[in-house]
Amino acid sequence: MSSLFIPALLTGIFCYLGAIESPWLLGMSGGYYIVGRPLVAGLLIGLAFGDIQAGVLCGLAVQGVFIANLNTGGATNSEIVYASYGGIGLAMATTKDPAIAVTLAILIGQTFGLIFYNGRMALYSFWNTRAEKAAHENDTHGITLNHLVYPQITTFILRAVPVFLAIYFGKGLVDWLIHSIPEEVTHIIQVLGGVLPALGIALLMSIVIKNKTHFIFFFAGFVLLAFAKLSMIAIVFIAALVAYMYYFASINKGNGGDGNTATQSSAVNTADEYEDDDLF
Amino acid sequence: MDAKQTDKLLTKHDLNRLWYRWGFTHLSSMSYEKLQGHAWAYSYIPFAKKFYKDDPEKQRRLLERHSMFYNTEPQTGQLINGIVASLEEQIALGNDVSEEMPVNIKATLMGPLAGIGDSIIQGIIVPILLSIAMSLAAGGSALGPIFYIVAYGILGPSISYFAFHSGYKLGVSAIDTIVGENSKRITDAFNILGVMVVGALSAKTIVLETIAKIPLGGKTQNLQVVLDNIFPGILPLGMVLLGWWLVSSKQISATKVILIMTAIITVGSLIGFF
Repeated sequence: MSSLFIPALLTGIFCYLGAIESPWLLGMSGGYYIVGRPLVAGLLIGLAFGDIQAGVLCGLAVQGVFIANLNTGGATNSEIVYASYGGIGLAMATTKDPAIAVTLAILIGQTFGLIFYNGRMALYSFWNTRAEKAAHENDTHGITLNHLVYPQITTFILRAVPVFLAIYFGKGLVDWLIHSIPEEVTHIIQVLGGVLPALGIALLMSIVIKNKTHFIFFFAGFVLLAFAKLSMIAIVFIAALVAYMYYFASINKGNGGDGNTATQSSAVNTADEYEDDDLF
Repeated sequence: MDAKQTDKLLTKHDLNRLWYRWGFTHLSSMSYEKLQGHAWAYSYIPFAKKFYKDDPEKQRRLLERHSMFYNTEPQTGQLINGIVASLEEQIALGNDVSEEMPVNIKATLMGPLAGIGDSIIQGIIVPILLSIAMSLAAGGSALGPIFYIVAYGILGPSISYFAFHSGYKLGVSAIDTIVGENSKRITDAFNILGVMVVGALSAKTIVLETIAKIPLGGKTQNLQVVLDNIFPGILPLGMVLLGWWLVSSKQISATKVILIMTAIITVGSLIGFF
């Protein structure tokens, strides 16, 4: 069991470094958006456990479920970082089976992960109040302590410790899960894993789709992949062309009478603000 | 307010310090109450010590006005940090810029920049880089994740850095670039790009197939094969449209949508449909 100590510890530390609130790798840029992605987590955990190939395979499987993970206004559809490091880490400590990694990641991301995340978000009002008081009192040292030092110590405890403990002591739990969960439930979790990206995409849609005419573009993108089987890169270039033409069509509004009234009305309607805080 | 363009107070070092102090710690103390609010006060500590060391009252007001609720996409949102840096510079110089101005700028711009930034970064850049990385990682190759680390590792910080410095250079005139008439057309066009990519993404990433069999001319056939001939990906499309309808029209929270989807999948699995 002691051979598990270092890999479990490293996985816990990675889970802290990939957290959305972690500052060490240029904030979100290197933390949440790089270390926090399941595919990268797979590589890092693979390095920690000395089996890169198995790690990347687990990361690849989990990444498929969480590809459209979204965090807007502090609210998130699943806690991708706990899911990645808890799920892939536990799988690597036991069977190294990607299907187990996916099942565990979904369970952790949608339950423990969200509870820990939302709990911490509520808890940090405590540090905020102290940081605000420090600003009132002109205490720059107090701002540093209550914005950076104390919250980071708290977040390290909330991220690294539970993930370390889960991996170090979790073998029994995983064995129990594999043997006692009925086949129907495993099947449901697997199907659910395929469907979960739909929520992230739905949240994205509610940001980018500002009126009903935008659905034409949405279906066009869908059809180019589902029917025409084009790659994502090809579709990005086609979409760029369409966007460019849309830009030109909207310049001519006001000249009138040349039959592009649909474009005109949609261009007017999109004057709505890009608010994203009313999504949840 | 833009009269004394020649008066510059901030050195390159001061500016970069504002950039990276925010860049590293923007979400360090995030809560639902304040989100990125206190990162502003933290990023202005060296500024305060340098320019207001003889005037504690002004320093206090600076720290207080940068302790308010704030939330935007933190990489593209550096544009606002750049604009505010140019305003705070004028205030520190004693020029005719009111102290409410930075506060108003932050409140006005954080919404639009969050919208455009989230759809570009979380909606376009990250999923596309990940889908390329995932195809490179097939078979367990480390090349996939390494590609993603390098690609986003260059792109993310570059966006952040250029956003900050162009915000500072343009100053308040950047606001026209963000909320002006022409920029509305540009962001609308980017939005169209985003909508199409999101449409493609939903066809690529959602996996839902039925295992039901239907009787067809004496023998049974997989319903999925029949569906694929009519409309490939109709089940994923149905699921994402349901999700959009629940989130957008019914204003249902993400957690409840997960529960609803879980219920549908559970029932569907139990009756042998999925």
